[in-house]
Formats: sequence, C-alpha cells, structure tokens
Amino acid sequence: MDGIMTQNSQKEKLSGKDLINIGIYAAIYLVIMTAVSMLGFIPIMMPMLAVLCPLVGGITMMLFFTKVKKFGMITIITVIIGAFLWVTGMGYWPFIFGIICGVLADLVARSGNYTSKKKAVLSHGIMSITIFGCFLPLYLDINGYFATRTSFGSEYIEALTKIFQPWTAPVIFGCSFVFGILGALLGQHFLKKHFEKAGIV
Amino acid sequence: MKLDRGILMDPRTKLLILITVTTFALGGAGGEATAKMVPVLCMVPFVLLLTAKRFKTALIGIILFAGSSLLLSSANAHNMGGFLYYMILGCCGLLGRFLPCIMMGRYLMESTTVSEFTAAMKKIHVSDNIIIPLSVMFRFFPTVMDEADSIGSAMKMRGISFGGKHSSKMIEYRLVPLMTCCVNIGEELSAAALTRGLGGKVKRTNICKVGFHFQDYIAIAICIVPWILLIMDVVK
Amino acid sequence: MIKFENVSFNYSKSDDRSVKNINLEIKEGEAVLLCGESGCGKTTLVRMINGLIPHFYEGEMKGQVLVDEMNITSEELYETARKVGSVFQNPRSQFFCVDSTSELAFGPENMGLPEENIKARIERTVESMNIRKLMDRSIFDMSGGEKQKIACASVDTLDPEVCVLDEPSSNLSLEAIDDLKETLKRWKKAGRTIVVAEHRLYWLKDICDRVICLNKGEVVFDMPMKEFRLLREDDHRKYGLRSIEENLSMMPVKEKISFANNIVLENFAYSYKKYDALNIDRLEIPQNEVIAIVGPNGAGKSTFSKCICGLMKGFKGYALIDGKRCRKKELLKKSYMVMQDVNHQLFCETVMEEVTLGMDEENEERVLKVLDELGLSSFAQRHPMSLSGGQKQRVAVASAILSDKDIILFDEPTSGLDFYNMEKVADLIRLLRGSKTVFVVTHDPDLVRRCATMVLSLENGVIANKYTYGEKRENGRKEEKCYTAAV
Repeated sequence: MDGIMTQNSQKEKLSGKDLINIGIYAAIYLVIMTAVSMLGFIPIMMPMLAVLCPLVGGITMMLFFTKVKKFGMITIITVIIGAFLWVTGMGYWPFIFGIICGVLADLVARSGNYTSKKKAVLSHGIMSITIFGCFLPLYLDINGYFATRTSFGSEYIEALTKIFQPWTAPVIFGCSFVFGILGALLGQHFLKKHFEKAGIV
Repeated sequence: MKLDRGILMDPRTKLLILITVTTFALGGAGGEATAKMVPVLCMVPFVLLLTAKRFKTALIGIILFAGSSLLLSSANAHNMGGFLYYMILGCCGLLGRFLPCIMMGRYLMESTTVSEFTAAMKKIHVSDNIIIPLSVMFRFFPTVMDEADSIGSAMKMRGISFGGKHSSKMIEYRLVPLMTCCVNIGEELSAAALTRGLGGKVKRTNICKVGFHFQDYIAIAICIVPWILLIMDVVK
Repeated sequence: MIKFENVSFNYSKSDDRSVKNINLEIKEGEAVLLCGESGCGKTTLVRMINGLIPHFYEGEMKGQVLVDEMNITSEELYETARKVGSVFQNPRSQFFCVDSTSELAFGPENMGLPEENIKARIERTVESMNIRKLMDRSIFDMSGGEKQKIACASVDTLDPEVCVLDEPSSNLSLEAIDDLKETLKRWKKAGRTIVVAEHRLYWLKDICDRVICLNKGEVVFDMPMKEFRLLREDDHRKYGLRSIEENLSMMPVKEKISFANNIVLENFAYSYKKYDALNIDRLEIPQNEVIAIVGPNGAGKSTFSKCICGLMKGFKGYALIDGKRCRKKELLKKSYMVMQDVNHQLFCETVMEEVTLGMDEENEERVLKVLDELGLSSFAQRHPMSLSGGQKQRVAVASAILSDKDIILFDEPTSGLDFYNMEKVADLIRLLRGSKTVFVVTHDPDLVRRCATMVLSLENGVIANKYTYGEKRENGRKEEKCYTAAV
C-alpha cells in the first residue's frame, strides 16, 4: 500500500502536542494530589501522604505514560510537579528531587523503549520519590533550626527530635518508592479495565 | 471584572521572596545569624496577602500561625509531657514552619496572571519546553476542577457517597470519569492550540510586559539581608 | 484555493468517519457548507484542511490536500496555521490562555511577530468584531456564546486566508448563533475562503454559496446554495439533514395536559455574589409532562436546573410534590439530571452494573425490561464509556428510571446532533412522558416542537413566558416573530 502511515515519527525534539500533553496530565495529577493532600491537612497525618499520593497518582501517570514516546516528557512533568510543590510552600527540596528523579525515571522508561510495562512501573516508583523532598526539611539541621529558639527549652527540642527521628526518613523514602510501584500497578489495572475500553488510550 | 491585585510586583521578585522564605523559615538555614530575621520573613507573606486584599486568607493564616506559636510556647511553659504534648508539638511545629511558605505560595499563585508568569519565565531564560506545559497546566486547573465538580454532582444524584454501600469504590468512581473527561477535553485543546501555530520553530514573542519597580527593589533588599548573613556565617 | 486530490482517510482507532476518494476544488472567497449525518466524514474533511489530519489524528491517508499551492498533508502544522484558521465545536476546550487578551495574542505570538504588530492586530480585531467589553477578562467567566466569539477573534488576529469551522453552533443559543453569523459575514466580505461543517443549516443560508453533502465518506451532492434551497424536506431527511428553512418556533406539542396534580415550586431564588441568577417566587408545573426550558445564555437555566435537582449549595426554596414539601435534600433524591457531557455520570465497568448502581433492591426482571425499552439489551455487558453518545444518554436515563427518580432533567441533550439522532432523543423523551416529570433545557426548536408539552422561557432569572400549545404569548421577543411564522 502506498498510503502514508501517520504514526508520529520518532523525532527526538518534543512537539507541541507532547508539551501540551505534559501540561494537561500535570494539571490532572496535581489537582488529584491536592485533593488527596487535604486528607493530610491534619499535620500529624502528613507522613501518610508519602503513601497516598504515589498510590493514587499512579492512575494518572500510567495514562500519561501511554502518551510518552520521547525522552524528556517524564523529566519535565516530574520537574513541574516538584516546582509546584515548591511554589505551594513545601520547600525547594522537592524541586531538586524532581530534577534528579525525573531524569532517572525517564532513563529507566527509555531503556524499555517507552513501551515496556515493567519499566514503566519502576519508572513511576522512582518518580514518586520526589514527594520525599517535602519531608526532607524536617530532618535536615533540626537542631540548628530550633537551637535559635532557646526560649522553647531543651525539652522541646528533644521532643521534636523524638518525633522526627532519623530512622523515619528512610521509611518515608521507602514508602514513596514502594507505593509508587503499587500505584503504577493499580494504574495499569485501570488502563485495562476502563481506559482502553473508553478509547482514550 | 479585573481582579484587584494590590501592589503589583514582578513575578521574579515574588519568586525570590518565596525562595527566601522557604530557605530560612522552612529550611532553617543560617542558624543563629539569621534567627532574628525569621519572624520578619514569616510576616512578609501575610502583609503581601493583605495588600492584595485577601483579607480572609490572611486572617486565617495569621490566626493559625499565631495560635500554633502561642499553643506551643504555653505547652512549653507548663512543662507538659506525654502524648498530648507530642501531638501539639507535631501539629504546631509543622504549621509554624510550613504556613508562611504556603501563604507565600498562595499569594504568588493568586496575584500573578499566567501571561505575567510566562513573560517572567521567559526573562530568566526558561526553555519553552517548560513554559508551554506550565501555561497549559494553569489553563487546565479550572477545567479539571469543573469536571470534578460535575462528577461530584452526578455522584450525589446517584447516592454514591462515603459511608454508602459503594464507599470501597469511591476512588474508582471519581477518578475514571474525571480522567476520561479531562483527557477528551485535553485532546480538543491540543488540536485547537496546534491549529494556531503552537510548536513552531520560530521564537515565540510575548506581549505581556513585566519589569522591576520601586516596590520590587524594596522587597529584594529585604530578601538579600538573610542571604548576606548566611554567607557571612559560612565565611566566618 | 483548496484542493482535495484523491483523498482517502481511515482513523486508526475506529472505522467511523472515514472518507474515500474525495476530489474537490474550492475557489478563493467561496463559502462552502459541508453537511451530512453524524459520522459522514465532514469533520474529517475539515481536519484535512487545517492539517490536524494527518498530523494530529492518526490513521492511514492517501492523496493530498493543497491550500493555496501549499501541501497541507506534508507541511508542518505551524506552517498551515498561517494560512488556515479553525473554530471548533466546543467553546470550553478551544482557548489556550486564561484571559481574553492573551488568547487573542496567542496565535501571533506563536508566529513570533513583533509586539507592536501583535497589538495592532488585536486592536483591529477588537474594533471590527466589536468585542471591546470582552477584553482583559477571564475566559472562564464567559458564556458559551462569548467564548465562541473569542475563538473567532483569536482566529481573526492571525489573519488567515482560509477559515474552517467545525460545527461551531452546536453549543450556542439562537442569539449567539446570530452573532456568529455576523462574524462569518464579515469574514466573507473580507474575501476569506470559508468552509463550515454543520448540522444546523438555517443560519448559513445567506452566507454559504455552495453546499456539499457527504454520506458514508463520499460526496453525494455538490450544488450551489440557490439550488439546495429548492430541495424538498424529504430530500433533506434522506441524508439526515435538518431543514435549511428551520422553523425557529418553540411551540410545544399539541397534547391534553392535566393541571390537576401540579408540582409547585416555591421561592426558587438564588443569587451569586453580585447578582440574582434566579428569582422565581412561585411556579406551577403539571406533573408527568415534558417541560422545555429555553432562553438565552445566562438567563438562569443552569441555576434553575441545579436547584431543581437539589445540587445548589445554600438553596432555600422547595417544591411541593403530591402535597409534600421537598427541600434540597429530598429533591436530590427525587430528581436526576442527564448532563450535557454524559461521561460525567458513567462510573461502572458494564452497562448492567451501571444501571443497577442506584437501585435499592435487585430486581433483574425490571432491569431487563427497562433496558429493552431503551434498546440497550444487547449492550448490557459492554463498558458504558465504549458506547456512542446517544447510547450513553440512554444508559443515564435507564439508571434514572431504575433508581425510581420522579423528575428527570435533560441538559441540552441534542447539541451537535444530526436530524436522526435528534429525533431519537425526542422519542426517548416522549417515552418518559406520563410516568416522569421531564425538564429539557435546550436551544433546539426542533426538539421542543417534537417532545415538549409546555415551554418555560427564562430571561434574567425570571419566567418571561410559560405556555402550552396554542397559548397566546405576551412578551416574547424573538418567539413572537417565529410564532407567526409557524402558524
């Protein structure tokens, strides 16, 4: 047949369509994230976000991954998510994490040619570590921060360090990764169950 | 119909304030040297919100902030202990650190138009690969919320709610239609944008003017102080 | 100006809407109407002119499309954008910026034009389209008609030689269609080539000079407008077309209505921060009839719908149904809205699961009966989202019937539908008459005349008119004119 197949050719540069897709999925992802975060508004619940956000986010992200064909898209969306967290007051660490995790996640997905389902799951797990950035300021230099507030007394500092004990850091870190993987699996389950039938994949 | 946005500042200035507030109030950088600056920095977002006539947001923020600080210091003063103390400590400690940053973020988002923001990004040479997704994202937020709202209404009419017999499937019921609708609208949006020449090789222009004014210089001056203190601290 | 050379196209996702062996030539300055039933391929042709096919929608394409000697099929989209401007069906999804001024600047900005030039273009467009009062506003706060105006204006700032419009009137009120008509007239006068794909034809009779009708992907006729207007109604029907001499009268069906058991709406009032969106003290509505709610954009129709479905937060009014006072909470239980975008209300994996979701007790016999009545039996195990628009609508209606709702409200059920599908919706609504009280919010006179037994016309939040068949109307503006035409 001499017809032109119009499958988008594998040009390396991101096209307008790709960039718009990034924006659209970032918006969906962040709205859902913000809604989930409302549950964590009781501050003590906050560590739960490292579980819930990657889990629910996986559904959006797996749909996004079906649109990814070129290097850069995953990086950009992760950086945007990181930047959003930063701008909404979570500190600059998620932004830095976003850059690193984004590139790593993108490389992993690329090694699977953006078609491998297993690599997509792993890639989302790595991406989800970005959320750990939100918690990092709680562990960094905790004594330095409160040392200045001597009026609160040493008991206070002691108690606070008790709540944010260093060992909880790797737990939250691990949670974000593991639940990122679980979220991705959930997302792929939804893809099959709903989105493919709805014709939007 | 124009929003009253109070004192207009360059988005870059607002970003600088945000960075400064998050670095020193949230991150606690600089130790003792900048400690005296922290309360001042914490107040900046509230003042800005007031100038933008967001009285309600500012008031809620101030009450929460002051309340948590008071609660904390009184808990300390009474030498409280036990579980309740840790609760107060956890909640108030977090609020006190995050609240100024969240308020600043709120101010940044509410007082900046998308075109101002992209113009400012352009001025600091951010690539179109970031700017375009960002502007789509801001355009798309209200759409996603609208859709979520309609889906919420549809669920109410069907009697699906938390606590009902379908509560285990709540996430699925909410997310599946939301994603389907948003993706469909997104597809139409991309088509419309592409027929108007998005993604071309030429350099995009921007008709929105941003630049520094008197108020920007004052804000920048305030922000620079803790950074200098930090550097001095490190050098020493 | 536009040339189709042996063009065929198949979408990679579905067989619908494909076209075969199209050969067409459209001259400069010509205004062409593309018509035909849903899925006939008219949208596909439009997408080939603006380059979305093959560059955005994927599929298999043969042949080529030329616009002004430029090969659209091989040229990049952003090059095509300089020559071809597009207006789409859905006003909600075709603006890229948040405020109107940036939106008008968007196209020229993409072209990399200098700032001064862009400002001059915007000024010219604002002047010629008379949209000064829409400038510097959030597009999200605008009505559908206003959004569509902004969409046209943002095409205008690019100053394209060819303008294509894909069902631009689908979501518009009659008043907004009039505005759109004015815009097209201006474009035609400026010498632009115009191609419009449409279901509603009446508003184009003075604009288009040529009519091309498609059926199953092939051109069935191609004639001057003058000739087309001489065709009889039957010929129109044969191709699923609505009449070109569309009757705009909103006269309901001639039926005997019993006012013995009325629903009384009391204190149906709601105001947003600044203005009263709805202000009805008392209104009596016959039970189990079909009531059409009409009126211009922003008249309070959607506020009214939300109130009657119990979805409006802080709404204080109530309805007396069978003597019982129903407030917001009870209304929510008693009523159901079939939304314009019916995707919002489909949650489950199969149609069967979907329609039984709101049921209090399982009753398979009843479910099967309802599915059968609505022609859905063969789809019981399909995923609701995989159905066609009309079928989805029926699923929503089935779930309303099965959850024993008394009031069913349709929100613009026929926007963007061809004649056949419009009639099907009318049949569906007629089916409900007598057992449910049905409200139909619509801009579609054809639909009103086919199924409504009473018409409520809203204006500025109050009932401007309420009538059944043959009743004299007092202060109908536009209706008065149409009414005389209808009798």
